[in-house]
This record gives sequence, structure tokens and C-alpha cells, in this order.
Amino acid sequence: MAAEDLPSQFDVVILGTGLTESVIAAACSRVGQSVLHLDRRNYYAGNWASFTFNGLLSWIEEYKNQQEVQIAESEQVWRSLIDEGEDVMPLTSVDSTISNLEVFSYASEEEEKDETKTPLTSCQPVNAETESEETKGGSTEGQDTCTGDDATESNGKTQNEEHQEQHTSEIAEPSQSQDEKEPQPISSPADPPVEVEKKITYQKLLKEGRRFNIDLVSKLMYSRGALVDLLIKSNVSRYAEFKNISRILTCRNGKVEQVPCSRADVFASKQLTVVEKRMLMKFLTFCLDFEQHPEEYQDYSEKPFSEFLKSKKLTENLQDFILHSIAMVTQQTLTEEGLKATQHFLRCLGRYGNTPFLFPLYGLGEIPQCFCRMCAVFGGIYCLRHSVQCLVVDKGSNKVKAVIDTRGQKIGCSHFVVEDSYIRDEQRQSTAYRQISRAVLITDRSVLPSESDQQISLVTIPPVGSSAPAVRMVELCSSSMTCMPGTYLVHLTCSSSGTAQEDLAPVVSQLFDVPAIPGEEPSGGSEERSKPAVLWVMYFNMRDTSAQDSSGYSLPSNVHVCTGPDSGLGSNYSIKLAESVFHHLLPDEDFCPPAPNPEDIIYDGDGPQAEGSGFDESNNTEEDKSQAEEEKSPSTESSEPAEMDSVTQETPLDTSPPSEE
Amino acid sequence: MEDYDYLFKIVLIGNAGVGKTCLVRRFTQGLFPPGQGATIGVDFMIKTVEIKGVKVKLQIWDTAGQERFRSITQSYYRSANALILTYDITCEDSFRCLPEWLREIEQYANNQVVTILVGNKIDLADKREVHRQRAEEFAEAQSMLYLETSAKESDNVEKLFLDLACELIREAKQNTLDNNDSTPMPGEGKNINYLSCCSMN
Repeated sequence: MAAEDLPSQFDVVILGTGLTESVIAAACSRVGQSVLHLDRRNYYAGNWASFTFNGLLSWIEEYKNQQEVQIAESEQVWRSLIDEGEDVMPLTSVDSTISNLEVFSYASEEEEKDETKTPLTSCQPVNAETESEETKGGSTEGQDTCTGDDATESNGKTQNEEHQEQHTSEIAEPSQSQDEKEPQPISSPADPPVEVEKKITYQKLLKEGRRFNIDLVSKLMYSRGALVDLLIKSNVSRYAEFKNISRILTCRNGKVEQVPCSRADVFASKQLTVVEKRMLMKFLTFCLDFEQHPEEYQDYSEKPFSEFLKSKKLTENLQDFILHSIAMVTQQTLTEEGLKATQHFLRCLGRYGNTPFLFPLYGLGEIPQCFCRMCAVFGGIYCLRHSVQCLVVDKGSNKVKAVIDTRGQKIGCSHFVVEDSYIRDEQRQSTAYRQISRAVLITDRSVLPSESDQQISLVTIPPVGSSAPAVRMVELCSSSMTCMPGTYLVHLTCSSSGTAQEDLAPVVSQLFDVPAIPGEEPSGGSEERSKPAVLWVMYFNMRDTSAQDSSGYSLPSNVHVCTGPDSGLGSNYSIKLAESVFHHLLPDEDFCPPAPNPEDIIYDGDGPQAEGSGFDESNNTEEDKSQAEEEKSPSTESSEPAEMDSVTQETPLDTSPPSEE
Repeated sequence: MEDYDYLFKIVLIGNAGVGKTCLVRRFTQGLFPPGQGATIGVDFMIKTVEIKGVKVKLQIWDTAGQERFRSITQSYYRSANALILTYDITCEDSFRCLPEWLREIEQYANNQVVTILVGNKIDLADKREVHRQRAEEFAEAQSMLYLETSAKESDNVEKLFLDLACELIREAKQNTLDNNDSTPMPGEGKNINYLSCCSMN
């Protein structure tokens, strides 16, 4: 099957499966365009991908190898495919968007059989040769296959335990798999999960590697942002499940505390005085419809939001909360922009929960895949591990008429959409890029333990000095399906001023217990132990091409470049870009209209109720659909709509499929 | 008014051309062969069956062609209650690829998933390349159920889905006992599905 040839003509060829490209693919396919969607990697989503722990180690290996190997281009293969009047424009086969990758492991290297109750030991010094550490990572490929055995086992009769261990707290499982069992803080929510009885070894991380889904990009979804709107509008939301971000934290004077942002939070807050509560509520209420009261802020329209906040006689405490954690803007941001950001935050509150954000289960990397699925359902063809060597450009019109893929096949197309990292430097006006600094940590407990150990937290960390960047941290718990029970997955992100390690290591050591001396256990003092221990950390920089626009490239007019992930918290930028590329390609078409709901097509009895052709468009009544959600079965299926038991019920969105015949 | 006691998501995987779509269409619509291209725009098919008075709604997902170039999205496997791993008994190659599929299952499907191995196209008995016993042994070694079917002759197709449904009900009941609570699907906190909720209005 692998050697099967591709069709020789498509309307649109898309290279790269990041969020923007995937949305464009789905949108084009949805309105009947023939789409070929390729990615040179063996996984979906490019820099938006998420990996199991073992998968991430392979990715790290790949990065290292790519630093060394430069593949010689095999020009001869495609020379013969070029006709007269055609020009060739090669693409790059090397991805150089990731840099300064460093990995450190602090999890014990011991075999994991023991019942010891020692605290976590440090094995690797912070400044150990990353080289050796990374090599170790690579050599774990073998481990990968090892885990196969366990899983096969659990495929059978022991499945249930594993499953419940993960999701249900109070159940005592039969002790089938002793060493499977994690002393989970879950089981005793009463005491703070400080005493992790059994250390998590490196072996354990590898063995449980598939429970991790580690995103390269760390973003949240604004519940009224462009991405959520698009997921709902297009019905792509049915492919994924989501969780609320349960709290917003901030770090002030080295202390992590909760930001009161919803009405309920404000009133429940213990750190605010009654006067502050009143002040804050009044201010937030004003922000909700600040446009109605221009007199309140017009004197500050040319001045920073931070000054405006001062003028409002808010306490310093409150000013910090609003500036850094609610508006999430800088000291320099102008008043109106700050007000808009605050308003957006407030409007997103309460749609699904009492923070403005959602997070997809299994990580952000699911989202591009969901759009790819939509594209495939409408006939798009998918090939991973398959790229384009060069574009065939018609000299007369300066348009791409075909591409030559990595198998040497010439594939005609009317449009070519490509992710920025496939473009050669010769085609760029400038190769000076902004960078995003990232750190990914596996830790043993939350930065702010609470009654529930299953919190997803956004932590805003205001800049320390004037030159330091504001750092955004997302702490994920195991029920987000991104890390193994008993651990937390922590993402740090900021716009780079130096390397990721330079930018973020200070924050990491401020908030976490990072063993400094090789072989030494973290000191038992309460001070140290109040911080979560870092088991594993990775730093890297990712290129941020979001500032580029089409004028930044010298490319044929029907080539559309999608820049990579930006540094923002939401995904608005990428979605807007996808929409704009789509409208450029197909000015008269609707962008991602709702896909027909399969629930509309019900085959109940025997015998066909619809012949083949009647099947492809939903022509059933709307009623079927709305009934489908009436009842949640005892064993619910994920994509089945459920009752929303959270705060505010959203006004119904009109997402009914077009009921044209 | 649609009502059911259980709803299960069943996902088909296996090489291209082994008859996955035919199995689904045969079961849900009683059709064979399915009209080509007719599946465009269809995510999954639904059939509600009744087993011993219990109404079970089966949501059956097909690969949307992404298996053709071995490019199935991981998200496809998430939250499936059951997997039907299909090969073609007249095609040795489709049988040899099974370990590869099992690796994907192991990586991306939840641990609790029920997997059944299906050898399809038994109507082409004279072209058989994979002996039944070999497949049975393989399935047993991997703790999978095994069944041979013909989507064309409708042999065992009904049985395949009904057996699966029975197994899923059994497991669900077991979990309810263990849990004293409705079993959440993997990762499904009590209050997820916010989005689907709104999208269904």
C-alpha cells in the first residue's frame, strides 16, 4: 500500500500539518476542493505537535541528528520532469525552526522495583553535559518496544484497573499490578500531596511514557476566541474533548497565589479586603462595556493602561492582577488596548466555566489533527513522511502549476499552501526572526496545592526587571491526559530575549526545586520541600515567524505561506491567517460551514433507507439531531453531547447544517 | 424521541482495501458494495440495536481514507470503546501489517478498549492466503477476539457488531458495579463536552 501512487492533479496541495495549514485543508475540502495534504514528518501538526514521553525523546534525537546531517539534493531525479517554459523553485528539506535545545533529567535512574520511600533524588546536575543526557534519551528507543509488552497485557484483562486508577479516586483496585500503582495524592485529597511516598524514576517516566502528551506549543483556548468559534461552527469540535482551565494564578514576590477573576472568585477571595473587592468589581463591571463610558478613559487614550489603572485608585495588588493576569498586557500597552483585553477576558468568563479558557484533552496537538480528519472525511488525501522537493513554476504567468514530491512524482495543482519552515532562505526578504522561549517540565506536584489535585492552572509571572519578559506558565494535571498520574506537566513560554534556558531557568528555579548538586537529595527543610520537584526539564527556542506577511517572501502568486505558531496565549492569529488564505484562494466560498451531522442519518431497521447518493448530504430533519443529546447514556461516548453543568448557559449558537436539498 | 441505554464508539482500522467500509455499510445499511465516494462527508454511521431488551446505540467510525498512506491521526483512536482491526484473508500483506496496527493501538487508544480481529472476505475462500488457525493464534496471543466475516455475503457481520455490543455492555456493567458511578470515558471529567454541548444547539 505504501507504494501506491498519488493522483496527478489536485486543486490545492498543502505542505505542513500545523494548525493554520490544517484549517485551510479542512476549509478547502469542505467546499469540494480536491486537497492533497503532506507533511515531511512522521507525525501530525509540525511544531504544534504533542508527543508521548518516548515520542518526545525521539523528536529530540531527530533534532540533534538534523544539526549534523545535510541531505544532498538529488536534482537529477526531477530535472527530467521539467518542461520548456517551466522554472524550478526548490524547497528546503531541513527544519531549522527549533534551536538551543537542552534537556536535563533529575528523576532517579534507579531500577524501579523498590519500595523505598526516599524522596526524589537528583542524579543529573543542572549543568551536566546535555549531550550525554540526550543520548540517553535516544537510547530509550528500546524502551519504547518494551512498553509494548505491558500494554498488550493490559489490553486484555487488566485494562480496567489501569483505567480507573487514572480517573477515579476512591476506588481501591485489586492489586494485580503492584508496581503499576502510584501512591496518588488523589486517594487522599484531605492531606496536601506533599509526601510522595514512592519516587518517580526515569524508568517510570519511560514506562508510562504513553500517558504523556507533551505539546511543543503551549496555548489555551479563549472560550470566545476564533478557534473555539471555528470548532463549533464547523462541527470539528466533535473530534475532541475539552476541559476547563480551573484557576488563574500569579506569582508575586516569589509567592504563588490565585487571581480572583470571576465574580464568585472575587467574593470568595481571602486575600482581598472588602474595599478591594468592591473596587475590583466596580472596575471590572466598567470594563465589560467600557465603550459606553468614554469619559472614563479618554484622557488616557494616549497613555499606558498601567497609568490608567493607577488613576483609578486601585490598590497595587489589584493593579497587578488586572495588568498581568487579566488583561495580560505589558506596562507599555496603551489604555484602550488594555481595556479591550480586559473586556475580552471578562466576556470569555462563564461561557464554560469560571475561567475564560479551555484546554483540549490529550494536548493542543489534537486540534490540527481534528481539522485534518475533517478534511479527510470530505475526500482530502493524507500522506505523512512525504514532502515536496520543488515547485514547478510557469515562466509566463509566474504561477506554480505543479509540485514534485519526494518520490519524484509531478503533481499538478492550482494552489500551493506551505508552512514557512519549508521555504528556503533565498525566497525570504529577511532571515531575522523573533523567537519563542519554551520550557517543559515534569514535576511531582502543583505549584499551589489545593483540595483537588486535578487543577489546570494558568500562571502569569510578571517580568522581574524592566528588560525581562513576562512569562506564562500552564500547569497541567493528569486528568488533562497529558501526563501520568502523580505528575504535573508544566509549560513555560515567553518571547525570547536570550536562549530559552537563559530566559526561563531563573523562573524555574524560583518556583521549583531544582537539585543543584549532583547526587544530592533535595534538602529536607520545609522551605525547599514546599516547592514541587522537577523530574525532567527541556528548554528550546522556536522560531516565531508570525510577524512575516506575504511581502516578506518572493514566491509565485499562487503560493500561500502559513507562518508558524505565534507567542500569544490564544490561537486567534493562526485562525485569522487560515481564514484569510482561504478567502484568497476561494473568495466566494463559505469558510468551514458546519459539516452534516452523522446523527442525522439513522439506519434503524433492516434494509437500506437511503441509496448511496442520498447519503452524502444530510437531508434529514433537524429534530433528530437535537434529540440525540437529550439523554446521556450510562456509558457515555466522548463526542456525545452532554449536559453542561457549569455556570452560565451559553445562548444557543446556530450551528445547524444548511438544510438545503 | 431517540432513546438508548448505552452508546458506544467503535472504530475501524486496518489496511486499505480490506473491506472496512463494506463491513460498516453492510451492517448499518445492508448494502454491498457501497457506492464509491458515497462516504464523502460522513464521519461515522449509527445503528441502534437491541440486545436482551437493552438498547445500544453504536457509533461506527471509519478511517476516512487516512490509512491509505499510513497517516491516521492519533485523535482518531481517542475515546473509542472498541476497535475492529480488519485484514483481508486473501491478502497476506494485510495480515503482516497487524503488529504495526497494534503498536498504534497501544500508543494512542485507551487501555480499556476492546479489540476484535476480523478476517474479512471469506467468500473468496479459494484465494485464501491466511489460515484461520494462524489468525486465531495471533489473536489469542494478543488477547483479542477473532472472527471471520464476509461483508459481501453478510456472513458474521451482524454477529461481529452484536458480539462487540454484548462485550461492551458486559464491561460497562462491570464498571458500573466497580465504580458505583457512571463510568467516565478516558479523560472525560464529569463536566467536559462543553463544546459539543454548545455546538449541538
